[in-house]
Amino acid sequence: MAYVRKDVSRLTPDERRRFVNALLRIKWRGEYDEFVRIHIAYYTSDGERGLRSAHMGPSFLPWHRRFLLDLERALQRVDESVTVPYWDWTRDRSTTSVPWTDDLLGGNGRPFDRQVVTGPFAYVQGYWPIREGIIDALFLTRDLGRAHDPIELPTEEELETALADPVYDTEPWDSTCEEGFRNKLEGWGTGEDSAALHNHNLVHRWVGGAMVGGASVNDPVFWLHHAFVDLQWTRWQQRHRNGAPHYLPAYPPGPRSGQRGRIVARHEPMPPWGVSPDEMEDVSGIYRYA
Amino acid sequence: MVVRAGGVPMGGEPRVSQAIRRRVLASIAALALAPVLVASRVPRRAPGSEGAAESAFDEIYRGRRIRGALVTPTGPRAGGHAWQVTVDGHPLHLMRRSDGTWLSMVNHYNSYRTSLEATRAAVDELGPGQRLRDLAPGPLGGPQGSMHMGEDHGVRA
Repeated sequence: MAYVRKDVSRLTPDERRRFVNALLRIKWRGEYDEFVRIHIAYYTSDGERGLRSAHMGPSFLPWHRRFLLDLERALQRVDESVTVPYWDWTRDRSTTSVPWTDDLLGGNGRPFDRQVVTGPFAYVQGYWPIREGIIDALFLTRDLGRAHDPIELPTEEELETALADPVYDTEPWDSTCEEGFRNKLEGWGTGEDSAALHNHNLVHRWVGGAMVGGASVNDPVFWLHHAFVDLQWTRWQQRHRNGAPHYLPAYPPGPRSGQRGRIVARHEPMPPWGVSPDEMEDVSGIYRYA
Repeated sequence: MVVRAGGVPMGGEPRVSQAIRRRVLASIAALALAPVLVASRVPRRAPGSEGAAESAFDEIYRGRRIRGALVTPTGPRAGGHAWQVTVDGHPLHLMRRSDGTWLSMVNHYNSYRTSLEATRAAVDELGPGQRLRDLAPGPLGGPQGSMHMGEDHGVRA
């Protein structure tokens, strides 16, 4: 029986409490910081050598799907009723709406040093020290909406431009792809500053603080954001069922391609787990979105 | 379609931990390769560049001393150039995108035309009194453990 991932705005007070408590519990056990380390370790940029399994490549979606499942397993070992909720940033768009409430993730960082000082993840509460950060601050940071040069969250229309693309991904399978569902959703563009940020990337930038750096997993909103991104993959698969709803590329790039050995084809093992993208395409037996 | 996700152990299991450990060791090894500085403090043109990029910078930006130099790593992983950048003496890892722009570990989602702009953008994200963590894990660039090696590898600048 598949479990349900819910819109965070529809969680009951008890569900909110259980979700937060499970996060605090795995943080205390040291499990959470392992997720931070994994995300840092697998961030390979496409102008560098090496296999890109997590970002700037077609396996962006299956990599994060599997990453979320691992987190969900850890939470469920603490409280089996917990599932990862999603944050629909096309609807809950203000700095005071969910998930930025005191009974969920707490609010914005304070202007002085961007320190989150409200909610369960505030440093003063003692449950959420940042041990695997890029900067030396031990507290969680946020800069919702980027105060010094405000930006808006992606709109429903922008998300629709990604969902409407019937092709999963295209050559050269990196951050420069102008076509294909994957990069339109991942959100790498060209040009200056926020004009180059779309969908997934723009949300990281909008939250700011920890979420804009390599250790973005330190902010638990990472999971709510990526659950919503994951939901888009499911929606895209359903919408284009009669077209070409499969992960691409189906086969590894040829010997003369600059992308050979640098991306994960549909049936190739995806580090660090060794599962292949096609094994992550249908998760309807594990969970569904409500 | 087979979904193994439910049955595969999660992140803390030995296989994944070993993979992380290998990557961390690879990064330490890369640091130990002691890159040879090819640039002086005086900004000058990057070797082989078309004149657009400087090969070093050293300035005070928003009260922070930012320094960068294009270096040529030696040893078994030699080849290409990399930027070695510090903010108030603490290393900042830069990564290159295939369009030739630069990202940093502090600001992963905006990319900039030059390493100097990417470094300034990283400073913009630092709060008062905040510093980069020493030995902050860098992007470990794949199985070879190469770090921010942009110049000659599939870059279509």
